[in-house]
This record gives sequence, C-alpha cells and structure tokens, in this order.
Amino acid sequence: MNEFLKIVLRFIGLLILQIFVMDQINFLGFINPMIYILFITLYPFDNNRLAFLLLAFGYGLILDTFQDTGGAHAAACVTITFLRPVFLRLVYGESYLMKNLRILTSSLDRILLLVLMTTFVHHLTFYSFVIFDVSQILELFKMTLSVGIATVVVGMTLLLIMKPKRA
Amino acid sequence: MQHIINFLIKYRNLLLYLVLFSVALVFTIQSHDYHRNSFIHSTGNVTGSVLETRNDIYSYFDLNRQNTYLSEENARLRMQLLALGDTLLGQESTLIFSDSLPFIVMPSRVIKNSYDKLDNYITLDVGTNEQIKTDMGVITSNGIVGIVDVSSKDFSRVISILNSEISLNAQIKGTSTIGSLTWDGTDPYKMNLMDVPRLARVSKGDTIITGRQSTTFPPDIQIGVIEDAMLIDNGSRYKIEVRLFNDMTDLGHVYVIKNRDKAAIKVIDTLSNE
Repeated sequence: MNEFLKIVLRFIGLLILQIFVMDQINFLGFINPMIYILFITLYPFDNNRLAFLLLAFGYGLILDTFQDTGGAHAAACVTITFLRPVFLRLVYGESYLMKNLRILTSSLDRILLLVLMTTFVHHLTFYSFVIFDVSQILELFKMTLSVGIATVVVGMTLLLIMKPKRA
Repeated sequence: MQHIINFLIKYRNLLLYLVLFSVALVFTIQSHDYHRNSFIHSTGNVTGSVLETRNDIYSYFDLNRQNTYLSEENARLRMQLLALGDTLLGQESTLIFSDSLPFIVMPSRVIKNSYDKLDNYITLDVGTNEQIKTDMGVITSNGIVGIVDVSSKDFSRVISILNSEISLNAQIKGTSTIGSLTWDGTDPYKMNLMDVPRLARVSKGDTIITGRQSTTFPPDIQIGVIEDAMLIDNGSRYKIEVRLFNDMTDLGHVYVIKNRDKAAIKVIDTLSNE
C-alpha cells in the first residue's frame, strides 16, 4: 500500500478510535487516553513541514469540535508537530533522516522513548490550555501525569499489536 | 524587502507554528467564558498601566490650562463666599475646628480697623441683636483677630491682638509648650511670644497655634510662624518673634465665636481656687 493511503487510514482510524472508544473510558472518572497523537508520531520523516503543520492543526481542530475544548487540541498537536524533529534527533541520533528508518521497525525502547516524550509535551500543552490558570499548577501536573501514563500504556499496546514482525 | 522575504522563508516553519498556535489560542479563549475573562483581565492590566502612563504625560502638558481654569474658579468661588459672608444675608453657622468640637460662629464685617496706635480696636457690624457678648473671640480664616470688648445693639468693639494690653495663651504646634502672646507696638505683622522656658524645643518655622487653656478661642487655630527666638532674662526664657498669618491691615470678613461651654468652664476654673 502506498504511503498516502496509509496516512489517510491512520488519520481516520485513530480519530474514530479516539472519539468512539477512548473518550468513553473515563477511567477513575476523568482519565481518557489520547492515542490520536500516534498519527503525528508515525507520520513519515521526510515531509513538507509546512503542510504537516497545517494538517496537524486541522487534525487537532476536528477533535476540538468533538470535545468542545475550543482549540486546545489544535495547539497541542501543532506544538508536537513543530518539536518532532527535536524528539527524533534525541532518540535516533543527529542523522536520523539519512538512516532510512521506519519507526515501527525500530527497537522497542526507542519507540517507547519517542511516545513518552511526545505524550508528555502534548498533554502539558493541552492541559495548560484547558486549565489556563497559573495558580493551579499542581492540578496541571496531576492531569498530565495520570492521563499521560494511560496514553502511553494504551498507545504502546496498540503499537505492539500493529508492529510488523521482523521478517 | 528582499531581507524580509528571506527571513520569512528561513523561519517559515517557526512562523507557521506560531501562527497556528495563536489561532488555537484565540479559539480556546473565545469558546470558554473563564478563559475569556482571564485573558481580558490580564490584558486589561497591561493596557491600563500603559494608558495611565500616557495620561500622566498628556496631563503634564495640560497643566498650564488647568492652572488658569482653577484660578478663575477660585476667584468665582471667593466672590460667592464673600457674598454669603455679608451680614445683611449672613446668619449663624457652625464651624468645626480640631477636637471635633463644633463652635457656633457669626460672620461679620469689619467697619473700622486700626493698627498704627499702641492700643488698637476694631469695630464690627454685629451686636447684641445677634447675641454678641463681651469676651467672645474673633477670628478669620487665616488666624485670630481679637476679643470682643463692648457691644451695643448693632455694633461691637473688638480689642485687636495688636494691643499692648492683651496677652493671649498660645502654644507651639506639635509640642505642649505654651507662652503668652503680646504685642510691643512696633510692627503690625509681628507679635512676641513670652515666658517660654529655656528647655522648650523651639525652631524657626514652627507654627504657633492657640492653646487649650483659653476659653475665648477654640484650640489649634493657627496664629503665626516663628521667625526668631532670643534668650532673655540671663538665658532663662525665650522671647520668640512670631510672624502672624493674618494680615491685620487688611481685614474684611471675620467670624465671632460663641463658645457654648465657656460659662461652665469658667465656673470650674474659679472653683479650684477656693
């Protein structure tokens, strides 16, 4: 299957998964894992960054309209899109573009590290927007941590399922 | 122009990120009341302080015009005050001095004044018709004028403070040092404060006010300012030159004070001697 179809499938699939499954979990009353960000994590490396930014913005905005959070998802998605090269450089080394990698085929610890960093930054930005109050910084960290852990757990599970067997 | 375009191209990713971030921020703020209020509150503080500074600068340049306006208003209000103080229209009013003790005063006009003799007297146009009696104090808004001496039906004679026979109880403001205020007949603008002990704190520029021991004048009325202090009597007492606030050569409207508790205080004062 060519790249474009894969991207489209990921886009729609993850959105549906998020809206219909994840948002209904309400673990402990407030935790909903946000696995839709895997779309941004798994996006190809050599991309037109401008288009990628706009796409991520639209992606987050769609989720905002479903959850009525008014732009917080969009801001968080755009942030992780912009910082993705930084994360990739940290995890895979300076010349990650040269190596012809694919995330899904790389080792588990690298995948975990990538997902961890992306989730952390995304959730921090997202909950800053939602709470919007500097004095409630403890609440911010609590939400980030709890939802982040849930997201990482569910996300890693999903990736392990999707990971192609080393052939 | 080329530089600007180069800059835009070089940082296009960052700029696009910032633009999209701001758009998302605007969406968030617009859609939630709490966010909107919080945002407006903080930007309001910033714009408020900036506008305040700008206002300070503008109003500094406007000071000249404000000054002219204020002096015109001042003149207008003074004229109104004088018209009100006219005894033909005037009536008893209550003025509150310090101590929050209200004193009943009667505004009146000076119809005869003198300041060049050794013993000076002032004539006012109020009398027993307005319940003006002997020993009532007379003041203006600037300071004290004198004590009522005799009064007929329509007129009263006031012993001016510029009178060698008079000796008032006066106090240095801020201390409890008291002395006697007398006049030596030379300068209508200056009087002498005598009998001030050597250990008192006296400095030039201190204000002299009426003391509490007088039944004629309410306390804390400003009399004058210390101009010079000399030690006399072999250095045991001060003789203090006081410049009066009141211009005794230019008296127009004065107030006669009817101290309501004077009789009671006088009785108690005389009782202690027996």
